[in-house]
Amino acid sequence: MNGDDGMPGGPEEFVDGLLEEELRQAAAVLDPVPAELVQAALEAFALHELDARLAELTFDSLVDALPIRGVTDAPRMLTFRAGETTVDVEVTEDGLIGQLLPPQPARIEVLGGPQTARAPLTADPLGRFTSTTPPSGPFALRLRTGAEVIVTEWLRA
Amino acid sequence: MVQSAVDGDAAAWKALVEGMSPLVWSVVRAHRLSDADGHEVFQTTWFRFAQHLGRIREPDKAGAWLASTARHECLKVLKGLARLTLTDDPRVLDRASEDRTPEETLIDLEEAADRAERVRRLWQELDGLGERCRQLLRVLMASPPPSYGEISAALGIAVGSIGPLRQRCLRRLRARMDTRGAV
Repeated sequence: MNGDDGMPGGPEEFVDGLLEEELRQAAAVLDPVPAELVQAALEAFALHELDARLAELTFDSLVDALPIRGVTDAPRMLTFRAGETTVDVEVTEDGLIGQLLPPQPARIEVLGGPQTARAPLTADPLGRFTSTTPPSGPFALRLRTGAEVIVTEWLRA
Repeated sequence: MVQSAVDGDAAAWKALVEGMSPLVWSVVRAHRLSDADGHEVFQTTWFRFAQHLGRIREPDKAGAWLASTARHECLKVLKGLARLTLTDDPRVLDRASEDRTPEETLIDLEEAADRAERVRRLWQELDGLGERCRQLLRVLMASPPPSYGEISAALGIAVGSIGPLRQRCLRRLRARMDTRGAV
């Protein structure tokens, strides 16, 4: 390397810019966005729901919990919140257990993408629900209570 | 464009996806996820963006929002892997895609074989630059060129340190290319 400080607009800066552009072209050729991913992102427009209330992820054990010594397969604990309503979800190898608070019955769909629809789950009057299918990949829950539709933020199981 | 997409304009959404996908992909690649994990992070990022569309207050920060969301999902993947394989060699994460793309094959057929060779060498030299430089350059080379705000969101580094780091990394890369080229 030479000792040039690379003044803005200087010749060194210009050569840097050329190299950056060369890298950009290399990335476009050698590591483009896979076409099926662009397609998935295009289809995600269907997930833009105006009538549903968004429940934001407020706790994720993967990020927020201290690891417990000796426990390597602790279940993933998630909490979503939409105003006064919270949804607690525990994801294990065997499936999913959840509770809606304040307790209330609901119909719950586990979404896996713009097109996927699985058989809905039912939350009992105490707001509890279970599924024996563990979610994999991106997933979200759509909950229909008596009063409204709530959708949890997408995340990766 | 964000506002038009909020209003239900599918063409505006398409323009957003086409304009921002390379940035999101660059964040995934910068974090060296496996292909399967990377694909899921990419999708999760866009699914969540679609959900948040009506809530993004500053449309010109949509790129930074996407980059930041992708970064956090990447970090979660790495954390989850670390938890599952505490004693494993972290280099299992270091899996660059070795498959040759159709475009790459096409380049081979072109007359400008030496140019293709330079491009490929450039790509290989990136790996020898050290992790910070490799990450920065991988995001920097997204197309269209990301803003420093977007790069900051993608990598969790201060906007003010991007310029100097960019300069250092590009020159280090150039030096490596010159050295090898002379051999």
